[in-house]
Amino acid sequence: MAFVTFKEWGAYRSHSLVSVLVGPVFFLVQYFIWTAVFHAGPVGVMELDEVIRYFAATALIGYLVMDFADWNLSMLVRTGRFLTFALRPLDHRFFALSQKVGHRLLGFLVEFLPCWLIFMFLLGIDMRPAYFGWMVLSVGLAFLMNFYVHYCIGLASFWVVQSGGIRSVYSLLGGIFSGVLIPLTFFPMALQRVQFFLPFQYTSFVPAMVFLGEFQLGGVEMSIPGIVGVQALAVAVAFLLAELLNTLAIKRFTAVGA
Amino acid sequence: MRVFFSAYRSCVAAAFATAAAYRINFLLSLFITLCFNLGFPLVTLLIYNAGASFPGWSLFEVLLLQAIFTLSSGLASIMFSGVLWATMQHVREGSFEVVLLKPTGPLMFLMATNFSPDDLGLVVGGAGLFAAALVFVDVSLGAWPMFLLLFAAGFAVMAGLNIFMAATSFKWVGNSRIPEIFDSVMAFGKYPMGIFPQAVRGAATFVIPVGIIAYYPANALLGQVDASMAWVILPCGLFLAASVWTYRRMVRLYEGVGG
Repeated sequence: MAFVTFKEWGAYRSHSLVSVLVGPVFFLVQYFIWTAVFHAGPVGVMELDEVIRYFAATALIGYLVMDFADWNLSMLVRTGRFLTFALRPLDHRFFALSQKVGHRLLGFLVEFLPCWLIFMFLLGIDMRPAYFGWMVLSVGLAFLMNFYVHYCIGLASFWVVQSGGIRSVYSLLGGIFSGVLIPLTFFPMALQRVQFFLPFQYTSFVPAMVFLGEFQLGGVEMSIPGIVGVQALAVAVAFLLAELLNTLAIKRFTAVGA
Repeated sequence: MRVFFSAYRSCVAAAFATAAAYRINFLLSLFITLCFNLGFPLVTLLIYNAGASFPGWSLFEVLLLQAIFTLSSGLASIMFSGVLWATMQHVREGSFEVVLLKPTGPLMFLMATNFSPDDLGLVVGGAGLFAAALVFVDVSLGAWPMFLLLFAAGFAVMAGLNIFMAATSFKWVGNSRIPEIFDSVMAFGKYPMGIFPQAVRGAATFVIPVGIIAYYPANALLGQVDASMAWVILPCGLFLAASVWTYRRMVRLYEGVGG
């Protein structure tokens, strides 16, 4: 399935190649903003160099973990086409995960690699992770976290049919609290602490901090193996939630031979 | 032209009537659009909250600039964003002939029939932020005419960007990521131009004048722009004219088989 998805989306690779232009341009804007912000000295707990590398890392991690399983599942439920999956000897969740693997493998080749090369050699940003092994593990967990959370949101379609509103709200909260717009260490202390119990930081902020080699949030300083362990625990909770919702959703599903 | 404005008025009324038929969806869309656009003022708030700043700009001056950007972007989205999606859809489906057969230019027709009240949330959010920022910033009465002139010039740039995007879809068929390219360029217009190097400032004033969307109007309100700066409307007018010319040229690339 992953290979078929890779080939299918490979036909539209110029679609993905847009990232090669958009990613570095957005990064340059961030570079100028933060260089100006740090003009009078250090801000918060991060140095300018760390913030620059942080934004480059979040851009690249975004290419590896991007997901739209929620949109796909919602469309299948709304149109009744989910029925064909109910008849197949293959769980839809595994099917969707395989699709994501294929899609992001293409993303790795046409989005991640060119942008990594641009950041590293054209813009001169040091894009070597502090701990390569932990970084790979953390990005893998972020990949799964993003998938399971999006899948849970897609499962909401079994109850509300049109889950566009829920998807928009998650997308809004995710945009703010995943750390893509601004490092979470800039948020008020109480909001920083709440992030440990929400899924958002595990999809972007945590892998970006693992890339930098240090983790601090809400006054809590953790070792890299420690925070990756917490991230693994959060992924396990998301997996169990997806499992539970999937069981309940399938019981509700009705279709008329779509 | 009188006929066009009459038709445009009818299309706007029809768009609002459609939105009223699905009013819960409409109100939800308004709310979500509004919330989505609180993102970048939020970043500014958090930066200033951390004790940092953009050199030479107070928090409310930056918020004023970003409110002007949001307002301009909202108005342009309402009037022009539908042109992109409609052009893209017609080109992909091979039904642009239907547009070409109408007794008005394709751009005019698509503008009128794709008025998008859903983006009103942006205007409401921008206006709210604008009013809030004005409370904390000293603005003299004499600054308003220059502000309105520069705001109109910035709006022309926004309109031009939307039309350029729509024109691109004739060549780059069915690529729904075209707006991302233009969004990335527009990001330069959301912050004080002083933070960018000279070359970027020049490009953002003369080549793709995104700097004029909010930076110059905000400076006009803050009393830092005098009448001699009115020349900056020239690149904006040229940009809009170039976008319309490009769209008309790109229509010739369209190939269909009868709609």
